[in-house]
Amino acid sequence: MTKSDSYEMFVEMDNVDGDVKIKKKKKMKKKEKLESMKKEMDIDDHEITLEELEMRYSTSITKGLSSTFAQEVLERDGPNELKPPKGTPEYVKFARQLAGGLQCLMWVAAVICFIAFGIEISKGEISGYDDLYLAITLIAVVVVTGCFGYYQEFKSTNIIASFKNLVPQQALVIRDGQKNQINANLLVVGDLVEIKGGDRVPADIRVITSQGCKVDNSSLTGESEPQTRSPECTHESPLETRNIAFFSTTCLEGVATGVIINTGDRTIIGRIASLASGVGNEKTPIAIEIEHFVDIIAGLAIFFGFTFFVVAMFIGYAFLEAMIFFMAIVVAYVPEGLLATVTVCLSLTAKRLARKNCVVKNLEAVETLGSTSVICSDKTGTLTQNRMTVAHLWFDNMIHAADTTEDQSGQSFDQSSETWRALGRVASLCNRAVFKPNQETVPIPKLSIHELEDPLDLRYLLVMKGAPERILERCSTILIKGQELPLDEQWKEAFQTAYMDLGGLGERVLGFCHIYLNEKEFPRGYTFDTDEMNFTTSGLCFAGLISMIDPPRATVPDAVMKCRTAGIRVVMVTGDHPITARAIAANVGIISEGSETVEDIATRLRIPVEQVKKSDARACVINGGQLKDMTSDELDDALRNHPEMVFARTSPQQKLIIVESCQRLGSIVAVTGDGVNDSPALKKADIGIAMGIAGSDAAKNAADMILLDDNFASIVTGVEQGRLIFDNLKKSIAYTLTKNIPELTPYLIYITVSVPLPLGCITILFIELATDIFPSVSLAYEKAESDIMHLKPRNPRRDRLVNEALAVYSYFQIGAIQSFAGFTDYFTAMAQEGWFPLLCVGLRSQWEDVRLQDLQDSYGQEWTYSQRLYQEYTCYTVFFVSIEVCQIADVLIRKTRRLSAFQQGFFRNKVLVSAIVFQLCLGNLLCYCPGMPNIFNFMPIRVQWWFVPLPYGILIFVYDEIRKLAVRRHPGSWWDQELYY
Amino acid sequence: MAKGDKKNEWKEFFWNPRTREFCGRTASSWGLIFLFYLAFYIFLAGMFILTMYVMLLTLDDNKPTYQDRLATPGLMIRPKGEEMEIIYAKENTESWDTHVQALNSFLSPYNDSVQEQKNYACKPDQYFKQEDSDSVKNNPKRSCQFRRSILEDCSGLTDRYYGYDEGKPCIIIKLNRVIGMLPGKDGQAPSISCAPKKYKIGKDEWIDDTDKMGEVAYFPRNGTFNLMYFPYYGKKAQVNYSQPLVAIKFLNITLNTEINVECKIIANNIPNLNERDKFAGRVSFKLRINSRN
Repeated sequence: MTKSDSYEMFVEMDNVDGDVKIKKKKKMKKKEKLESMKKEMDIDDHEITLEELEMRYSTSITKGLSSTFAQEVLERDGPNELKPPKGTPEYVKFARQLAGGLQCLMWVAAVICFIAFGIEISKGEISGYDDLYLAITLIAVVVVTGCFGYYQEFKSTNIIASFKNLVPQQALVIRDGQKNQINANLLVVGDLVEIKGGDRVPADIRVITSQGCKVDNSSLTGESEPQTRSPECTHESPLETRNIAFFSTTCLEGVATGVIINTGDRTIIGRIASLASGVGNEKTPIAIEIEHFVDIIAGLAIFFGFTFFVVAMFIGYAFLEAMIFFMAIVVAYVPEGLLATVTVCLSLTAKRLARKNCVVKNLEAVETLGSTSVICSDKTGTLTQNRMTVAHLWFDNMIHAADTTEDQSGQSFDQSSETWRALGRVASLCNRAVFKPNQETVPIPKLSIHELEDPLDLRYLLVMKGAPERILERCSTILIKGQELPLDEQWKEAFQTAYMDLGGLGERVLGFCHIYLNEKEFPRGYTFDTDEMNFTTSGLCFAGLISMIDPPRATVPDAVMKCRTAGIRVVMVTGDHPITARAIAANVGIISEGSETVEDIATRLRIPVEQVKKSDARACVINGGQLKDMTSDELDDALRNHPEMVFARTSPQQKLIIVESCQRLGSIVAVTGDGVNDSPALKKADIGIAMGIAGSDAAKNAADMILLDDNFASIVTGVEQGRLIFDNLKKSIAYTLTKNIPELTPYLIYITVSVPLPLGCITILFIELATDIFPSVSLAYEKAESDIMHLKPRNPRRDRLVNEALAVYSYFQIGAIQSFAGFTDYFTAMAQEGWFPLLCVGLRSQWEDVRLQDLQDSYGQEWTYSQRLYQEYTCYTVFFVSIEVCQIADVLIRKTRRLSAFQQGFFRNKVLVSAIVFQLCLGNLLCYCPGMPNIFNFMPIRVQWWFVPLPYGILIFVYDEIRKLAVRRHPGSWWDQELYY
Repeated sequence: MAKGDKKNEWKEFFWNPRTREFCGRTASSWGLIFLFYLAFYIFLAGMFILTMYVMLLTLDDNKPTYQDRLATPGLMIRPKGEEMEIIYAKENTESWDTHVQALNSFLSPYNDSVQEQKNYACKPDQYFKQEDSDSVKNNPKRSCQFRRSILEDCSGLTDRYYGYDEGKPCIIIKLNRVIGMLPGKDGQAPSISCAPKKYKIGKDEWIDDTDKMGEVAYFPRNGTFNLMYFPYYGKKAQVNYSQPLVAIKFLNITLNTEINVECKIIANNIPNLNERDKFAGRVSFKLRINSRN
C-alpha cells in the first residue's frame, strides 16, 4: 500500500465524522481513525503484474533501483524502521505522581500553612514555626510518595527496555544491478532484495522469484506451519497470498528475491504496531477503585473542612484561625499514608509474582488479573509450543499417539515393531534431504536415496515422504509388522480412515515409503539424477503415516481447568485455521468434553444448521471470515450465548474487536499473546500478558505483564495473587481509614467545645506516615480466608474496593470507639496533672494566651504558657498512644473479614506480628527519646497512660469477634448486610 | 441526555417513590440503623462516662496526682503592661495611671486589715506545715498573713503613686503557686534578684544596661519570700492563701532609654535555667520612663 493510499483512507474517514459530529471533532477523529485502522487493510500490489509493479515503483525486477533514486526515495519516506512508540516524558510521569486527588488536597493544606505562616510573619508575631514545619512536612510527604511511585514505575519500565533488540539488521539489496549488503533501515520502496533461509524479511516484499522459500508467519498470523512463498498470487487478501513476505517474519529455508512494496511504519507489522499505540490504555480496575474512593475521601475532607470553617467563623474565630482549622481538618482526615500503603502492597505482590516469573510492568495490573473474568488467549506460542511435533503415527494399521510434551517426559508408544523401525528410518532420512529445486510447489513428494550402513548389503535405499495420497499412489506394497504385504483395497480403505481421522484432529499428515533398489540395476557408484529421474519411483513400499501438530504446552490444560473453577472464561483467539484451533481448544479444555458447536448438533441430528437452537450449543468456533460479516451486536450475542468460544483466522483488528466486545459485556478481559498480531489486543485489554521467550518486542511493549518462562499456568498464580491482594487491600484500607476519625474528632471538639487541643497535626502525620504504615502493609501478607480460587471473579460494578459498609463500619464504629479511647486518655492525663474535665471546657482562649503566665488550674496552681504548652504536648502524646493501642486491636481484627481471628491464627502472619512490635517500639522511641518534646512535640508520658485505652482496645476486638460470629452464623441477615464489608 | 440521567439518578437516590426509599433506604431500614447506632453510642458513652468516673474517683481533691510540668514555678510581674513592657512618661499622669490602678487592685486583698481578719500570723522563717494526720483531714488549712505594709515604699500606703510620678517606679513580683512546693533548702529563704538583661549585639558580644538601670531597692529586705508562706495546700484546703510578693523599686534609673530587666528567683532547690520557658523561675521586662528634662 502506498503512502497516498493510506492517506486517502484516513481522509475518507475524516470526512465521514466531519459531517456527523462537529463538537467533539478532535476526539472523534482519533476514534474514527482507529476504527478505520481496525478494518482490513487493502492493497493490490500482489495482484498486479510484474510490469505494473515495475511501473508503480519505477524499479526493475532485474537491476533494482538506481542508487541515486533510492536515496531520493529514502529522503521522501524516511528510514525503514518502526518508530518506537511515543513514551510519556519522564517529567510528566513524575508530575502525574504529584497531582493525584489526595496530593492536590495536601498541596492546598501546605499552601494554607504557608499563608498562615506568612501572615504571622508580616504581623510580626511569630508564635512558633509549627505552621512552617507542617507545610514542609506535607510537601515532603507528597514528594516522597511521588518519588516512591515513580521509582516503582521506572523500575518496571527498565525491565522492558532490556528486552529491546539493538543489533542492526543487514539486508542484501540489488541496486544498479549490483548486490550490496546494506543496513536494513536504508531500504526503500522499490528496492530489489534477496532473502535466504535464516534471514529476517527486511520489509514487506512482493516475491519475484523463489526457490523453496518458506517463511514463519506465526508472529503475524498465528500459523505454526512454515508458509511457502512463491511468485504467484494465490489469494485476493494480501495476508493470505503467497507472493508477499512480511516485514519481521523469518525466512526459514530457500531463497527468494522480491520488490519492496512497503517500508517502516507503512508495513503490515508497522501498521499493527501503530494500531497498538493508537489504542488507548484502559484504566485498570484497581485504579478506578482507588480513584473512586480518593474522590470520596477528598470530597468528604473538603466538606468537613468547609463546614467547620463556617462553624468556626460563626463561633467567632478570626479568619486566619478558621483557615488553619480547615487545614488541620484536611490533614487529619486525609489518609496520607494510604497511597504509599497501596503502592507497597501492590509492589510486594509484584515481587512475589516476579519470583514466579511474571514480570509486572504496571503495578496496578497485579490486581487486574484477580478481577479478570475473561481470558482471550492466543493459541500459537501461548497455549502451544510453537513447534511442529509428531503427535500420531499410523503403522501396522494402528494409530499410535506420540509424546508431545516439551521435555519428552510423557508416555511413549510401543516401539518394538519392525514397521516402526522402518518408518523411523524413512522419517529421519527424509529430514531436510536433497530435493528437486523449483518443484517444491508441485506436489511431488520428497525423496532421497541412501547407502545402507550394513557393508554386506550393497543395495541403495530410496526413501520418500509427502502428501499421503501421493505417496500411496506410488506404492504397491505396505509394511505391516515388518512384512511387506500387497496393497489391496482393504489396506487402502484402512489408510483412508486413518488419514481422515488424523486430519480431523487438526494435524498435518505426511506419508512415508521406501524401497531397496535392486543391487544389479543400481550398483555402488551409480549416479542418481533427480532431474532425469533415472531410478524407480513407483512400486514402493508404504511404511506409514506420521501426523504433526503444534502441541499444547503441558501445563496449559490444568491451568485452563483452574481458570474455569475460578469462574474465568477462556476464549481462544487465533490466526490459525479453525480445525487446528478447535483441535487444540478441545485438547486444552477450552472446549470441554461433550460440548458441541451448532455444526456438530446439526450433523448429529441431521438437520440444517439454521434449525439448531443456538443456545443448545455450548461451544462455538467462529472464523475471521464470518466475523467480518458480523455486527458488534451479533458478536456480543455469540459471546453471551456460547460459553466456550474459539475464534480462528482472526486478523489483529478482529482480535481487538473481540476484546472490545467482551468489555462491552462488562467483563474484565485479560489477553495473552506473543505475536505482533496480538499487540493491539494486548494493549486494549484490561491486562495484556505477553510471553517472555517466544514473545515479540511489539507484544511485550503492549503488554502489562510478561511471563518470563512462557508458562500459561503462571496466569493462574497471578489470578490467585490478584484476588488475594484485592482482599488484603480492602483490609489495609479499612485499617488505614479507621484512625482518621480519632484524628479528626479532637479538632472538632477543640473547635466546638474549646478544650485545649488534644492532638496536633505533626503527631497525626507521625501516626499516618510512621507508626501505622508497617502494620497496614503487613496485612498484605495475610493468607486468604477461604479458597479464593473457587469463587467467581468479582463484579466490578458491585464489589467495590471500598464499599459503604467498610467505610461506615470503620468510621462510625471502630473509629468512634478509638475516639472515645483517645478522649478518655486525654482527660485522664489532664485531670491527673490538675485540669479537671469541666475546667477544660471553654478553656481554649486562656490556655493559648501567650501573655498569660499564671493561669490557675483546678487546684489553684498557676501555670506559665510554656508549662501549659508542654502539657498540651503531653496530651498529643497520650492521644497518640491511645490511637496506637487501639490500632493494634484494629490490625488484629482486620486480619479477617469473616473468620474469627482465632481461626486465622494470631501468629501465622509473622510480618504482622513484627509490625506490631515495630509499632510499639517506634511509639516508645517517639515518647521517650530525649529531645523529642522540642522537635516533634512528643513528651515522655507516664507509663500508666499507655493502659488507659486498653479497655477500648479489648472492646474493639470483642465487638468485632461478635460481628464476625453473627456474620458467619446468619448469612444474609440484616447484620450481615449492614456490617460485612 | 446523560446529564438528565444523572440528575434523575440523584433524584431517585434521594427519594425513590417506587421502593419508597430515602437515600437508598426505606423508612424501616433507616429506623433500624438509627436504633442500632443509638444503642451503640449509648453503650459507648456509658463506657466513657464509667471510665471517666472511675478516673475521677482516683483523684485527690487537694493535691494533683502528678506535677510533672511544675518543677520550676513561674514568675510574674505586676503591673503587666503591654507585652511585658512598662513605658510611660513621668509628667503624663494618664500614661502611668493604669499601672497604679492595676497595683491598687492587685494589692487590695493584702490590706493589713483584711490579712489580720482572715489570716494567721505565723512564725516566720520556717515552713508552715499543716499535715493531715492519717485519717483526719486537717481542713480547712490556715494561711499566713502577708501584710501590704511589708512592701513599705511600694505598698502604696505611703506613696499612693508607687513612685511612678517621680520616675522611681515599683514593680511587684509574684511567684506562681504550686502545691506542696518548698523553695529554699536548709532554712535559706528564696529571694528575688533583678539585674539588667544581657543581650547580644554581635557575635559573642554581650552587653547589658548596668549603668543605666541604677540602684534597685527590694521590699521586703533582700527580696526574700519568707519560708512561712510555704507550702501551699491548694485552693480548696487553703482558701485564703496569700501568696508572698517581692517589690522592687528603681531608684535612679536613666530616663528616656529602654532598659531590659531580668528578675530571677534564687533558691538552692529551684533550677531557673530553662532555656525554653522564659517565665520559669525568672521574668524579664522592658522599662522605659520618658521625661521632658
